This record gives sequence, C-alpha cells and structure tokens, in this order.
Amino acid sequence: MERSDRREKTGKYEQILGILAKSIRKVIREETDSLDGLQEIRLRTGQPVRIIRDNREKILPSEAEPHIITKEELRETMDYISHFSLYAYENELRQGFLTVEGGHRVGVAGKVIMEKDRIKNIQYISSVNIRISHEVIGCADRLLPYITKNMQVCHTLIISPPCCGKTTLIRDLIRQISDGNQYVKGCSVGVVDERSELGGCYLGIAQNHLGSRTDILDCCPKAEGMIMLIRSMAPQVIAVDEIGTSEDIHAIEYAMQCGCKLIASVHGLDMDEAKKKPVLGEMIRRRMFERYVVLGNGTHPGEIRGIYDERGSVLCRK
Amino acid sequence: MQKVIGAILILTATSGAGYVYCRELKTYLERMLYLRYVFSLIKGEIAYTHAPLPDVFREVAGRIKKPYRTWLLAVSDALETREESGFARVWNRCADRYLKPLGMKPEHSILFKEPGTFLGSLERTTLDHTLQMYLNRLDLEIEKIREGIAAKTRIGRCLGVMSGIFLIVILI
Repeated sequence: MERSDRREKTGKYEQILGILAKSIRKVIREETDSLDGLQEIRLRTGQPVRIIRDNREKILPSEAEPHIITKEELRETMDYISHFSLYAYENELRQGFLTVEGGHRVGVAGKVIMEKDRIKNIQYISSVNIRISHEVIGCADRLLPYITKNMQVCHTLIISPPCCGKTTLIRDLIRQISDGNQYVKGCSVGVVDERSELGGCYLGIAQNHLGSRTDILDCCPKAEGMIMLIRSMAPQVIAVDEIGTSEDIHAIEYAMQCGCKLIASVHGLDMDEAKKKPVLGEMIRRRMFERYVVLGNGTHPGEIRGIYDERGSVLCRK
Repeated sequence: MQKVIGAILILTATSGAGYVYCRELKTYLERMLYLRYVFSLIKGEIAYTHAPLPDVFREVAGRIKKPYRTWLLAVSDALETREESGFARVWNRCADRYLKPLGMKPEHSILFKEPGTFLGSLERTTLDHTLQMYLNRLDLEIEKIREGIAAKTRIGRCLGVMSGIFLIVILI
C-alpha cells in the first residue's frame, strides 16, 4: 500500500514537472523531489522561478542566483501544458486558466484579445501560475456528521474565499458519499466538473478518487451538466464546484426540485456575503439549502470556520 | 531457335520493366491519395472533438493502415512524453523516420512536413481554414500527378516494348 502511494506521488510529481520547460524542470528537481507541501509554481517572463511551499514563497534556485525565466521557456511551458494544441484549450484560456492532467490548475496572464466587447483569447502569455491540486483523503471526516440526516445528505452550500481548500473538501465529500460510511449510505453521485478540477479527468477517466458510485461529466458547463445528469444518470446527489452564474443557480433549483441532493460551493467570505449575491441570496432566504459550511484560510485545506443550518443557526464553530 | 527464345526473353523483360514503372506511378498516386485521406481525418477529428493533437493522432491512427498508423502513433507518443520542444521538430523527425519507406519525392516530403508549421499553433477557426487550404493544395498536387500519369503510363509501356525490340535488333 505504502509503495503504491509513493508511486502515485512520484507519478503526480512527474506529471507536474512534465508540463514545465526542460530548464525549469531541472531547477525544480534540484529543489525538491516531491510535491509535499508544494502549493504553487509561479513563472513570469524576465522574473525568477518562484514556488510557494507550506505557505512560504521561495525563489529558485536561490535568491542570490535566481533562474530568470525567458520568453522561450514560457512558450515551451505553454506548449507542454496545452499538448502543443492551444486551439483545444481556447474556451479555458478565455477564462484565464486551464486544467492539466491530475486536476492541477494553470492560470495564465498576458495580452487579452477582444472581439465584440468579449474576451476572445489570451496572446503573448507572460505569466503562468501552476496551482498544485492536493487530494487530501479524509479532510471531510469532520464535516460529514453535520451535513447528513438519517443516513442521507442534506442540500449543502460551501462558502469559501479562494485558496481555502473548497475543491479539496468537495472532492473528499464526493468520495465518502459515493462509497458510504457510518454517516451516509453509499449512493450514486453525479459530478459536473466544468474545469476538470474535481476529478482531474484524463481522456474522460477521473484521476482522483471520487468513489465507486460516481458519474462524472468532464469539461461540461454546470447548468447544462446538472440537467443532463438528472435525465441520463439519475443521481441521488449532485456535486458542483464554484457556482456563480444565474444559470447555475437556476439549474441547482431545478435539481433540488427533482429530488436530488445538492452539494455546491461558492466564493465568499461568510454567510452575509453569500446572502448579498443576487440569485443565490434569494435561495438562501427561501431556505433551500439545509446546511452552510463556511471555510477559512487555516493551517490545513478545508478548515471549517462554521457550519450553519437552513435558518442560519450555528451547528458548529471553530 | 536460341535467338527466338532470347528475343522473347528480352522483350518480356523490357515490357515487364515498363509495366513495373507504370505500377509504381499508380502506387505513388495511391499513396498521395491515402495521405490526403489521413489529413482529412485529422481535420475532421480536430473540428469535431477539439481534442489536443496527441489524442487526435491516436484516434486517427486507429482508423488507418501501416506505416501511416505507426507514424501518427509515434508523433502522439513524442508529444505526450514532452521531451522535445517545438511541434514542428517532432513532426519533421517522425515524418523523416516513418514516411521515408514510402519513397516520396523531395517536393512532396516538404509538403507533408508543412503541417508542422501550423498545426497546434493556430486558434480553432484559423486552423480549420488553414487545414482546408492545405487539403486543397494536396488536391492540386494529386491532380497534377493524375494528369501526368496517363501520358507517363503510355510512354512507359511503349518504351518497354520499343527498347526490347531495339535490343533484339542490335543483338541479332
């Protein structure tokens, strides 16, 4: 078991190195031989390679003699990230990021091309930020007793600022609900993974552990995906990450009325901020969600600041 | 008697050579047509699935025969391993290695390396247009070969027989 874990970790490490230009790979390899604690790799043209490890930034190989990133290195990195096929990631690039094998998110910045007042693409990419996806098995252990009732999941909304581990938490929730345990009876879970972050799908197959009863729609818009899943796979629970548009929220409402339990996440600092969101706020006021989980930027991913019921009463607080 | 047998053998050999030459011309045209088919599959797969090139090549490779299959699989593997920078370099290397046995003329070898300069680096719509233009160019080349092939076949056959007769006359 330990050996297979190690092999898996080495595989993920090589996966990350594989998307970097060869010269940058060498610099990272000299610094670390594993992904443990590694959160981000930041590459900017004309700037040194920076990594964030255990919440601390570091310049590579050293602050005195940094490795300055050239335009060619960044282009090579983008070639590897996009499998030499930028056309295949046009939609993702339009949003400013794309997801690579293993569910790692790559944010990009550069010159934005506009067409009819809309972003068409990003050209001359000058910054790349690789955010390492960490699967933390068991990080939802503490949460599960609060969001289940009679061995069934409640409609749950996870509210969290960016980088607080909501994707990691949802991923573990999906796995536990799908497989079942002492709090919840294993049931079929439908996942709409618009940015391939939850499953980290490669060729349609999830690379992360999402449980044995999970069906995943990869790279599918959330609103359409939820309706597709209800019609085609009859899930008992639907999970989506980072809802935002009014279409997403209407689709959630539709799914709730179809008898599916919903687990969703949204960007926000706390309950009050979530209530101020136009359509979502209305749903909260109508008490459509049975549980609200607020996350904070703590020492470990998915650190819970508070759990509330549909009336906003505190069930648990840090 | 020996002279008659010798004359028949010479005539058969030279006519055979003419026939082989005609067959080769036809095979060359068939190869060009097949490569055009491969590129049209690539274009269709990109337009339909919008998948990255390694996936496109792997998918298309499953539908075509050797050595074209080996060639596309090799390109796909090389792109997946990410050990070579620049798509054009990978494409040219694999074309040189796997399409060499086809014995293409230098101008056609260059033509088949051309997609290396634009595949993958263009956005979707432009790539589709560029691939269509490339297919049109292939069609033109194929048309040129097809036009030449009829005359060349006739000449090849005639030369085969005529050179045989010429040899027979000289030797007798």
